[in-house]
Amino acid sequence: METTQQKYQSLTTKEQLHIVHRLLGFAAQYRQSFLLSMVAVLVQSVMNMLLPRFLQHYMDTYLVRTTLAEKIIIVSAAFYLLGVIIRSAAQFTTTFAFNMGSEYMLESLRRALFAKLHRLGMSYFDRTPAGSIVSRVNNDTASIADFMQVFLSGMVGIFAIVTAFIAMWLTDRTAALAVLAFLPLLILSIWVYSKYSSSAYRYMRQKLSEINTRISETIQGIEIIQNFRQQPRIRQEFEQTNQEYLQSRRSMIKINSLLLSPIVNLLYTLALIAALYVLGLHTHLGLLQAGMIYAFTTYISQFFNPITNMMDNLSFFQDGVVAGYRSFKILDSQEYGPQQTVADNTPCITAGAIEFRHVSFAYPNGPEVLHDISFKVPAGASLGIVGHTGSGKSTLINIMLRFYEYGQGQILIDGHDLRQIPQAQLRQKIGLVLQDSYLFYGDINFNIRLYNQNISDRQIQAAAQLVDADEFIQQLPQQYQTVINPGGSSLSAGQRQLISFARTIAADPKILVLDEATANIDTETEDLIQASLKRMQQGRTTIAIAHRLSTIKHANHILVLDQGRIVEYGTHQSLLQQRGKYYELYKLQEQDAI
Amino acid sequence: MGIFKKLWWFFYKQKRRYLIGILFLFLTALSNLIIPRAIGQFADWANQRQLTAGHLGQLLGIILAAGLGQYIFRYAWRNQIWGGAADLERQLRSQLFWHYLNMDDTFFQRHRIGDLMARCTNDITAVQNVAGIGILTFADSIITGGTTIIAMILFVDWKLTLIAIIPLPFLALMAAVLGRLLHQRFAQAQAAFSQLSNKTQESMTGIKVIKTLGQETEDIADFNQQVDRTIAINRQVNFIDALFDPTTGFIIGLTFVITILYGSHLILQQVITIGQLIAFVGYINNLVWPMFAIGRLFNVLERGNASYDRIQSILHEPSLIAEHPNANLSLNRPDLDFNIQSFTYPDGQQPVLSKVQFTLPFGQTLGIVGRVGSGKSTIVKLLLRRFDQYQGLIKIGGHDIRSYSLDTLLQTIGYVPQTSFLFSTTVQNNIRFGDYATNQQQVQKAAQLGDIDQDIQNLTDGYQTLVGERGISLSGGQKQRVSIARALVKQPQILILDDSTSAVDAKTEVEITHNLRTNAPKQSTIIISQRLRSVMDADQIIVLEAGQIIQRGKHVDLIQQPGWYADMWQRQQMNY
Repeated sequence: METTQQKYQSLTTKEQLHIVHRLLGFAAQYRQSFLLSMVAVLVQSVMNMLLPRFLQHYMDTYLVRTTLAEKIIIVSAAFYLLGVIIRSAAQFTTTFAFNMGSEYMLESLRRALFAKLHRLGMSYFDRTPAGSIVSRVNNDTASIADFMQVFLSGMVGIFAIVTAFIAMWLTDRTAALAVLAFLPLLILSIWVYSKYSSSAYRYMRQKLSEINTRISETIQGIEIIQNFRQQPRIRQEFEQTNQEYLQSRRSMIKINSLLLSPIVNLLYTLALIAALYVLGLHTHLGLLQAGMIYAFTTYISQFFNPITNMMDNLSFFQDGVVAGYRSFKILDSQEYGPQQTVADNTPCITAGAIEFRHVSFAYPNGPEVLHDISFKVPAGASLGIVGHTGSGKSTLINIMLRFYEYGQGQILIDGHDLRQIPQAQLRQKIGLVLQDSYLFYGDINFNIRLYNQNISDRQIQAAAQLVDADEFIQQLPQQYQTVINPGGSSLSAGQRQLISFARTIAADPKILVLDEATANIDTETEDLIQASLKRMQQGRTTIAIAHRLSTIKHANHILVLDQGRIVEYGTHQSLLQQRGKYYELYKLQEQDAI
Repeated sequence: MGIFKKLWWFFYKQKRRYLIGILFLFLTALSNLIIPRAIGQFADWANQRQLTAGHLGQLLGIILAAGLGQYIFRYAWRNQIWGGAADLERQLRSQLFWHYLNMDDTFFQRHRIGDLMARCTNDITAVQNVAGIGILTFADSIITGGTTIIAMILFVDWKLTLIAIIPLPFLALMAAVLGRLLHQRFAQAQAAFSQLSNKTQESMTGIKVIKTLGQETEDIADFNQQVDRTIAINRQVNFIDALFDPTTGFIIGLTFVITILYGSHLILQQVITIGQLIAFVGYINNLVWPMFAIGRLFNVLERGNASYDRIQSILHEPSLIAEHPNANLSLNRPDLDFNIQSFTYPDGQQPVLSKVQFTLPFGQTLGIVGRVGSGKSTIVKLLLRRFDQYQGLIKIGGHDIRSYSLDTLLQTIGYVPQTSFLFSTTVQNNIRFGDYATNQQQVQKAAQLGDIDQDIQNLTDGYQTLVGERGISLSGGQKQRVSIARALVKQPQILILDDSTSAVDAKTEVEITHNLRTNAPKQSTIIISQRLRSVMDADQIIVLEAGQIIQRGKHVDLIQQPGWYADMWQRQQMNY
């Protein structure tokens, strides 16, 4: 997997600008916040110009006199205080308005991503690990929030620098130019800093990530490490990474100490010297007053102050651009699931009869996985599908459930073309039974009905009773309101499966599609599940993929697939008699039982 | 403050570095005093028309020297102090890691992996902050604050100083209060973010279920609700965060106001000059950072203290695994004599094993079967000496297993666990995990015995393919076979297979068993399994139920006896 830096370097400047443009487009929705922030920063900067000027005037006009009315002192102080209050209020507004705008922007991006993801087809999810998707929605968007900080500090900084320069210009032009001469040096030091620091920073984060992976892995595999007596070696390997990380931190410290705020400080001092020199020369020309010196030197500080903050935030720019790139890839994706051609909810599936007519399927840019598949399953009957790994069994299911679009042929349910049945009908009437049970965080009621408010508590219980889950649920401390922690193991594997069976049945589908798992479970659980499956199949049409023939021995018909083609079809007995592929499979499994 | 005392061992060891750092801090503070004074002097000379070229040169020269000095001094203390913090971090991490490596099973049951990781990341960061920014703020606030106030008193006026700095403690207070509030809100924001992450993870992993039930719209609505909550919490964080700078500016502004009020009088009374007032105002700016720092200091110390305590408490937990001195026995073709009267887990109430006794002569095979939770794996745990406290005796090669060194004992035993964990490295390194010096030939031989050699060669990079969490993921059956190869490569004298073929199909299991019998050097084997088929050919089989042996014998005998074994055999037959 390529790193962020690699990705960043692979983007052309044009692409980067385009991404930044689109990101700002998301921000445009909340332009009021950002505009408010800009107005506030303008007020803030203007106050920063006025306050020193005010003191300059006060010092050079009043404090040079021999006497001064008390009233003038108090009124001046009051004005100054007012100015300070206005500036503080503006400062608060700048930061708060901007950050809220940024927050709304990033959340709207998250919402857009999540909604888009739900529209994508299973093909996307089958090839993308869930972890990386979560990263996009959660972590990348967080990078974009940091990215916006670049603009905040940039905006504040630029306003500060420009207004400070204007103030200096209005005070003494030559001195102002003397200070301005240092701007190129500043920009140079920013450029040098960002060059050295970004690669050092990345290296440091990479090492930290390595450290954390090592620790996590060590804890997970601790038994093996201890059983194989590998503690010394693992320790040595860790110490090496630990040391490398220390070195990288030391480099980072050095770079920051040399090139970050200390150098900005040094440039400030040099600019100060230059300005004072120019001002000093002016004493020969005319009046040079203390107050003016105070104001000018204050403006020089204000000119240099924001630089360090801006430099600090630079590193976020890169991450933000890459995060934007990845987010837009999802938002632009056209990898939708198969679409239906009818939109309303006229009921079409009543009995649940299934027919495949000459169906073929190939993955995009791939070989044909299913070829000329034809079979019929009458309503209420059961069909078992067997075959080696790669024979096309899972693909058949993916097609039936409209996870993937098939190529040629027709699929009919109760005589209606699969593509024309409304989506809602399909989802309601076809139930998928996965033997890898998936539970959600919530109570049992929630796990069985999920978000479907049409399922009453009684229906939930009825479903649970059907699959034999009601018994153990009643034993639990809060029965149906017991909260399930998917990561934990308070329920046994068998119990979890029964709950997911109840979920499928609660929707009362007419057709059941059964996708069997390959791993073996202990015999007791196995029996329980087989019994429940039998009950679930009553009164419903069933298509079952089986790895163990014992599951489908009693199916009305069995289909044998080999390399995408139907090679045998019949009942268990008739297939055994044929002494063909099915017979082979059967003998192989039976043999191991003896 | 107690945390400084607790970390004294570190500061003492690094005293040279910290003393140098503080020295340079002091020098920085001194050079900080020069510029405001110089500007003030410049202003006065300008006002009094006494600004000659000589004077100008002097002033600029001093400012230049101060500026260069500052640069060098700052570099020096940053290097020393931040460097010290980085060192502490490395040390603590090292200590924790070595400790983890030597802890026993109960330790890992007491502490979830998330907590153990947090000790190594967040807690270490908090502690190293004490040695970094903690020391800095402590020293700097005293040094800079102190020298600046002294300068204000010396160069300007003590009365003005006292009055003007009245608002400044409020700066420290504000920093402390807001800092704590921010920390709390931030923790809430972290929690909300975590929840959102979990929600996304759940929806994406369970996408098939959601799609099948056609509930995408509702799921999106649920997500949006959580986003709304996140926004509300982040708003609070932003609010407090945005308060820091304005409040600082306001309090400093107050200081300026006081300075104007009282300072004006002093100027009119000619106690001080305008230049001195300008210098004074410059010094006030110097005080901002130290005041702010004091406020932050308490937060940093508090957090560092709590984290240090957490780390120390983990480091002080002892391990139950212990070596014994008489450790120079060696093992050769050992017999196993297992005789446990009773064993209870350290934090358990009931005995997990009672009166379990069996003998396994070298070279024979023992099968252990029984229901889930009957104690099968516990027997293995005792053999591996993961627990040493029990009533009874386990003898191997004629001696108590506790009298051998762990190295000797565990070299002799090859253990293949139920769940196969692969490390993020090459397949080759995973197989020769017990000894990286093993050559490819030996690795391959072990892989062949485990019937995984062919599969490995079919991978894109063969034996050099990266597996584990950061590599490609192998199927359950493949992982188990790699695990088996890993145990076999060191040619153990006792091989323990703990339900290690559950994900392997029947045909392959037969292959492996056959390989072990014919091609591997002679060894004792213990097979634990759910499938009776796997232990069929064992020289003896024991059936466990609630920690006790209820049946024993050979397969042919056991299927004749009415009991659990025969029952199970029937049922497992029917499933095929």
